[in-house]
Amino acid sequence: MDSEDDDFYSGEAMDDENDYYNTDDAAYADGYDDEDEDDDDDDYEFMEEVDEEYVSRQQQSYTVLKEEDIQQRQEDDITRVSTVLSISRVDASILLRQYNWSVSRVHDAWFADEDGVRKSVGLLDKPVFQFSNAKELTCGICFEPYTRDKVMSAACGHPFCCTCWKGYISATVNDGPGCLMLRCPDPSCRAAVGQDMINMLASDDDKEKYTRYLRRSYVEDNRKGCLRYHLKHEPYLPSDCCYIHFVYCQTKWCPAPGCDYAIDFAAGGGTFDVSCLCSHSFCWNCTEEAHRPVDCGTVSKWILKNCAESENMNWILANSKPCPKCKRPIEKNQGCMHMTCSPPCKFEFCWLCLGAWSDHGERTGGFYACNRYESAKQQGDYDETERRREMAKNSLEKYTHYYERWASNQSSRQKALADLHQMQTVHLEKLSDTQCTPESQLKFIIEAWLQIVECRRVLKWTYAYGYYLPEHEHAKRQFFEYLQGEAESGLERLHQCAEKELQQFLNDDSPSKEFNDFRTKLAGLTSVTKNYFENLVRALENGLADVDSHAACSKAGISKPPPASKGKSGRGKGSGRSSGSHDAGR
Amino acid sequence: MANSNLPRRIIKETQRLLSEPAPGISASPSEDNMRYFNVMILGPTQSPYEGGVFKLELFLPEEYPMAAPKVRFLTKIYHPNIDKLGRICLDILKDKWSPALQIRTVLLSIQALLSAPNPDDPLSENIAKHWKTNEAEAVETAKEWTRLYASGA
Repeated sequence: MDSEDDDFYSGEAMDDENDYYNTDDAAYADGYDDEDEDDDDDDYEFMEEVDEEYVSRQQQSYTVLKEEDIQQRQEDDITRVSTVLSISRVDASILLRQYNWSVSRVHDAWFADEDGVRKSVGLLDKPVFQFSNAKELTCGICFEPYTRDKVMSAACGHPFCCTCWKGYISATVNDGPGCLMLRCPDPSCRAAVGQDMINMLASDDDKEKYTRYLRRSYVEDNRKGCLRYHLKHEPYLPSDCCYIHFVYCQTKWCPAPGCDYAIDFAAGGGTFDVSCLCSHSFCWNCTEEAHRPVDCGTVSKWILKNCAESENMNWILANSKPCPKCKRPIEKNQGCMHMTCSPPCKFEFCWLCLGAWSDHGERTGGFYACNRYESAKQQGDYDETERRREMAKNSLEKYTHYYERWASNQSSRQKALADLHQMQTVHLEKLSDTQCTPESQLKFIIEAWLQIVECRRVLKWTYAYGYYLPEHEHAKRQFFEYLQGEAESGLERLHQCAEKELQQFLNDDSPSKEFNDFRTKLAGLTSVTKNYFENLVRALENGLADVDSHAACSKAGISKPPPASKGKSGRGKGSGRSSGSHDAGR
Repeated sequence: MANSNLPRRIIKETQRLLSEPAPGISASPSEDNMRYFNVMILGPTQSPYEGGVFKLELFLPEEYPMAAPKVRFLTKIYHPNIDKLGRICLDILKDKWSPALQIRTVLLSIQALLSAPNPDDPLSENIAKHWKTNEAEAVETAKEWTRLYASGA
């Protein structure tokens, strides 16, 4: 740890700056799966996999970053600033932190007004405190006299003894990420204290915390995102040509518990669904689990509603408000209405109206007692919230209906995941033996299970969708329920086939003649169900727009439900035959 | 008990507070707890608190000076930044605390707060409202309270 930190700050220029733009640190998620192939076309960055199978569901416009990738990017940024501005890496890091890790903003601000930036960030170019000629200096915290070699100071020169520095740093580091903007303890001095001092004085635990905050800040405070470019090759261009493709990228942590990866997401992609290397799929926009076809707003409403710890939720609603800037819930534990969010946000706002504090005082009409709240209340803005709460209470019954179905699809999905795992680790090998079939030819079973897992997820979210579909839109509701019902029975058929019908072959001791028929049927059901669900997702994402112009149940874009859909591209042959043998059962 | 292992800094601060007190301020440690101070602040001249003697208590927590001292008015006072429990809305007692500040600087800041009430950042809403709508009347009330509760009896 120590030696690594030393390297970090040795001021040694990192190797070629251009590295930053090469494939290695920005390998797109596809790239990770087949790194070997990547070697052939090192100079290109393929943004999109031109594979029609996948394009419809996920345009992978994101990169999964491992911890070392994040660190590498952060250090590269520090190197760039340090090289361009000719300042130390520590100072470059302080500057970047202050400007939310945007290299271009640092450059712009610095070259526009270096003195102003130095002043506001606390990067002094010479000490402001002159040591007297006395042999001993008095520590400004413990008031003890020390010889010069026993005191330390930031760039400003204010002397404090090492023990007090240690106490000061430890208190600030344990107070949260505000320690990244540490200043000299002297209240009149704004000199920044950088990571070099931390590394010299903090305990190993605190050093680690500081480094973690620094890494976290790089991912979390980089909200605005930054412009990256990728060299993109197009098939119609000569083989040695490519064009530069600019994209805004933003980074967020993978929300899965214990996962340390982050996702770098390029704006403008079709969908927000991303898949982390840890196998967690989530919506990049709201960081809840992947939830197509339902939009983020609906999901957050739904999750809030479901929150098992409803007592907890009630308490948070009653006693806290989200910071209007960073959205973290804040509990008011002091008397006055002037709130200051904890660092690094530090947003100052009014507890009553949640407006910026800078808008208060004289300008709001002369009263600190926020009249903006009063007028909002008169206009009914606040009563609206209360009315909505009341309505929610009344719809408890309706809610229970949807919740039960949502939850049972959720648990069915969990079960399917477990079954899939069991299939991959145990059954497949055995089946391959008894049926005398290579495992590679049993892939269709895994595909069926993957499809079941995905469909359960979609189906689950259609219940949240249904819950929020307005009561008065009768035609839409009717159409929606029809689509949902068909989807459900189609999926039941597939699930039944993969679960029950497969069972008999697992029990067999010798190859069975019916196995080929089973293969055709299951593959057919998988393909048909997949198609159906994709259309369902599209229709729901579209807000069932077609209902407005057509009567319910006649949407052209939706293929007919599985039972009637015969012989799709040959593979679906089995599905037609199978349709008679199973009762939809619902 | 709390007096054993009293940091040198606290001893020094205490000595200095006693030997060279700041004008209009006196602070002396309690006999049985050297971290607990009885404080008196004279109402600054030209303020509605002129002529009043205000008692406060000040406590140095275990983490002092890394954490701010805890200060509270014991005498009732009519001031927009001080509530009826005597709690004080002052930045250096909260997020702007620095270990290089001292008991003396804290008390001087409180004294300055008496000279310059800040109704834009209120702790006591009613008083602040009063201050902003009718300052003359609020000042009268503050004088009245000073006479009633802080007349040095």
